[in-house]
Amino acid sequence: MSCEKYSGWLTDAALGELRAEREPELLAHASECDSCREALSHAREVGEFVDRGVEALVAGEPSPHFATNLRRRIAQETESLQSPWMAWAPIIAAALAITAVLAIMVAHSHVRSLPNPSLAPAGAPISALHEAATASPTSPQLARRTEGKHAPEPSTQARPRTTALPEIIVPKGQLSAAAQLSAAINSGRVDGNQLLAAQQEYQKPLEVQPVEIAPLEIPALDDATEKPANSIRF
Amino acid sequence: MDALAASFPGSEVSQDESLAREFEQRLADCPKLAYRVALGVLHNPTEAEDVAQEAMLRAYHNFYRLRDRERFRGWLVRVAFRLALDRIRAKGRRQRHEHDAMRATLNAQREASVENLVAAREFERQVAQALDALPEKLRIVMVLAAIEGYNTREVAQLAGLPEGTVKSRLFLARKKLAESLQCRVKNTPAG
Repeated sequence: MSCEKYSGWLTDAALGELRAEREPELLAHASECDSCREALSHAREVGEFVDRGVEALVAGEPSPHFATNLRRRIAQETESLQSPWMAWAPIIAAALAITAVLAIMVAHSHVRSLPNPSLAPAGAPISALHEAATASPTSPQLARRTEGKHAPEPSTQARPRTTALPEIIVPKGQLSAAAQLSAAINSGRVDGNQLLAAQQEYQKPLEVQPVEIAPLEIPALDDATEKPANSIRF
Repeated sequence: MDALAASFPGSEVSQDESLAREFEQRLADCPKLAYRVALGVLHNPTEAEDVAQEAMLRAYHNFYRLRDRERFRGWLVRVAFRLALDRIRAKGRRQRHEHDAMRATLNAQREASVENLVAAREFERQVAQALDALPEKLRIVMVLAAIEGYNTREVAQLAGLPEGTVKSRLFLARKKLAESLQCRVKNTPAG
């Protein structure tokens, strides 16, 4: 029972922090109790190890070049501070890099935004197609334009407009069909005028015949027989 | 401006010859303190030197308000301790116990057998782990007390704490370390 009481004092005693009035009591008990004497000895050993262990952890010297390296670091920092443009160098470099990237992006988007019939949105005006359809089959411009257009190359689609050739804007995915139609007109297999006439026929507004409604004939009523019984007179 | 001040170009130190001379004195006697504080936290000589350099660099930039020697040393200790902790946090709990190569072992003074050396390193690793597990406020007083055997008053000056606080924290730190290491001591070489 008394050993339990003293076990809590052992570490304090080993570290030299046990209250003065308790120390003689603990030592007296330890002189009679083998296990407590051994525990106290062990606690003292641990206390020494703690101090020595931590001392060993912090033992060491900085390198002999410490001061030299420090002076060099100070000089480097001061140099960069003394030349203001050097301090701004990273920012300027970053700004230049961002500008270059933006320029590339703008140039790329400009190339993409050039006329590209095959990318025309659905519902784009197709009136120009009529012009192509009505053009003379022997028109050199149209012949030149439709020549070899059955399988248009992507590079020619993106080519900017350089001549006065009529532009045919077709919905996306219908370029091939438009080219075939143009070729058919040029070869005479299809009559362009006939197509146009048919198209114009469809575009005519509907004629709505006015409906004639005959006026209602209201027969004259007899006052005595038709007047309601509960009618109010003013 | 003489050569001494010129060795610290820029900022207030280079403008003031006496300031440069005082910083030169600090540079002669304080790096070891900063280095050891950092070593007590990092347990790695290379990293401890980096941290000590950084702490001294900051001290240089703030030297105009740190001319008093004791104030300078306390400030340096706290900055080195904080920088070392920051470095540990940045790297996480990691391989810092694995270097050990150049550090003095617990039994450096005696002829150590291979078994003793291995056991000493193992014990040192355990002490380091137990120290790392201490709360920061206990750890800094423990590290400072272990550096050149500073007494409570000196630790209090360096840590910027009341002496009584340092005394109680130091006791608590040692007690926690002892409890943590108690079960391991029997397997290590005795001093």
